[in-house]
Amino acid sequence: MAVAKPQKFAKDFWPHFNRVIGTAIVLSQLLILVIIAFILFLFGFIDSHPWAFVGILSAQAILGIITSAIIHRIAVRPIKDMLSAVVHVSGELTASTPPNPNDGRYAKNGFKDVLQTIYELASNNDKAPATIISSAPAVETSVTAPTPVALTKPATTFLESALNETSCGFVIMDQSRQITFSNNAAPINIGTDGVASLSLIFNGQETLDAWLDDCERNAVHAERTWSRIPNKLPEEEDRRFFDIIASYDKGAESEVVITLIDRTKLYAIGEEELDFIAFAAHELRGPITVIRGYLDVLEDELKDVLKDDQHELFHRLTVSANRLSGYINNILNTSRYDRRHLKMHLAETTINDVYDTIRDDMNLRANAQNRLLAINIPTDLPTIAGDPASLSEVFGNLIDNAIKYSNEGGSINVSAGIKGDMIEVLIEDHGIGMPASVIGNLFQKFYRSHRSRETVAGTGIGLYISKAIVESHGGNISVRSEDGHGSTFIVSLPTFASVADKLKAGNNSNEGLIDQGSGWIKNHSMYRG
Amino acid sequence: MGLPQGTTMAIKTILIVEDDRFIGEMYVRSLKKNGYEVDWMVDGNDGLIAARNKAYDLLLLDVMLPERRGNDILDALRGGTEDLIPHTKVVILTNFEQDDESRMAMEKNADGYLIKAEITPSKLLAVIKQLDETS
Repeated sequence: MAVAKPQKFAKDFWPHFNRVIGTAIVLSQLLILVIIAFILFLFGFIDSHPWAFVGILSAQAILGIITSAIIHRIAVRPIKDMLSAVVHVSGELTASTPPNPNDGRYAKNGFKDVLQTIYELASNNDKAPATIISSAPAVETSVTAPTPVALTKPATTFLESALNETSCGFVIMDQSRQITFSNNAAPINIGTDGVASLSLIFNGQETLDAWLDDCERNAVHAERTWSRIPNKLPEEEDRRFFDIIASYDKGAESEVVITLIDRTKLYAIGEEELDFIAFAAHELRGPITVIRGYLDVLEDELKDVLKDDQHELFHRLTVSANRLSGYINNILNTSRYDRRHLKMHLAETTINDVYDTIRDDMNLRANAQNRLLAINIPTDLPTIAGDPASLSEVFGNLIDNAIKYSNEGGSINVSAGIKGDMIEVLIEDHGIGMPASVIGNLFQKFYRSHRSRETVAGTGIGLYISKAIVESHGGNISVRSEDGHGSTFIVSLPTFASVADKLKAGNNSNEGLIDQGSGWIKNHSMYRG
Repeated sequence: MGLPQGTTMAIKTILIVEDDRFIGEMYVRSLKKNGYEVDWMVDGNDGLIAARNKAYDLLLLDVMLPERRGNDILDALRGGTEDLIPHTKVVILTNFEQDDESRMAMEKNADGYLIKAEITPSKLLAVIKQLDETS
């Protein structure tokens, strides 16, 4: 291939072209002289006026050469400059200077535009010629002096302008995590100090920085994807959603390459749905207040009048109203959590105090559905840093599940103990249990196993939001289960003593935010029902 | 709360500002039955006037109210340099989901913030008893 043939350069064309034109001019002039001589000879001019004959031929020869030279110069110069321009933008080695499009003559006759077009095309397309430079010296090392030519534009402009055409964001970071490149579509924030940073909200998920920290410690090559990551908070202008792919390549000049696929159209609909759900849930709260309230009032006022089974019917009404209220809270909290509005108001409390707020309700629920609910929470457990309202929703959800997925007359045990810096609360049922294949998906939003979809009513957000709440406390939730024999859910929450320092750091005005990795914790000392 | 510590007196008089008739009547009925003196105002302006004219022991305040919203009422009573209701405890009762900033602003001037849907009349009685104990 290239080794067999000598490399061809654009600049080699010019001498060749010049030689051909020169030869053509000389030959055509000679031909004209010969024809004139022949005509004069035919008419006998050569004998009668030999001096005039010589004079005519000489004059023709001189005039012909002069006019040809002038026409040659005028006709060939633009071609020469065009070639010269092409040679320069192609990056070939050359001693000539590139033609200047701002030459007065070019501006007058319009050739300026031609040259500019060549230069513009070249600046948009610098990448391709760059490969010519690299291959040329390799083939003809003896001929070309390998001194690189300074290109008129940096070689990145071609890619840059191409990337700016797409709606995908591209961001490249160097080894110190400074952004070295970003295209127009990338959600970039320029700080007051002029430093560019990515503007992304990892709603409770592992953040890019956290992942990169992890990569720096443990990985050489790594890749991670995120989906549905917004760049701004709800109601902010120009809010976009991205699916993100980040690649990490330790030590490379472009150590981190981030691709952000704009999915706003797809996810924005979901956002509106969430707003609608939040709105609908608020509207539902009014009637629920009335139903629960009047049941409470009536039960109290009628307690001497009602017969036994009528009491039971009242309990069923109360239990159902309470469950409805719990589901609405789940929906609201999920909507809040997904929009990053779920905040924990942490205060020093105990598992027993939290459970007290739902104790009656849970007993009523278990009784109404014929389950044996045994609560065994030691009173001497260390305190936790918890949001009582949110935690009671978690325990309510888990006990509700235990009731739903166990059999009539089955027992449900709630116990608690200390394990290191954590308090563990176990909610154990002896119901239908679940296979291992289900457990992996259990805490996903809207997940329902095939079996439970057919037999048990539910929304599939109870465990999702319970996990979110527990993790926002800096705790975690897990499950052990045996198919056909029951499940045990374990909620671990940090003791107050283990997080007190962090809480105090933000304790001055009820406004202190403590980032706990997967959530936002807000300290708050006020009583909350 | 930085409120002046009066003599430990039990809560006896209560003002409810609540525009939902069902909910208002429910609280009035339950509280009266349990021995409290209860006044009930339906709109925000009347609520503010009532709160300024009589020193209630407890103000139960809704947020979404006609004429004047609960946060404005609380602001008018406690937002200035002088606390116009130094002997009154305030509990916000709402089903409306406020953003955190507005909620915090209200909580600063209140003794409790409760979601109505979570509070049955008997739970409200328990909360009032608890307020009595902490005063």
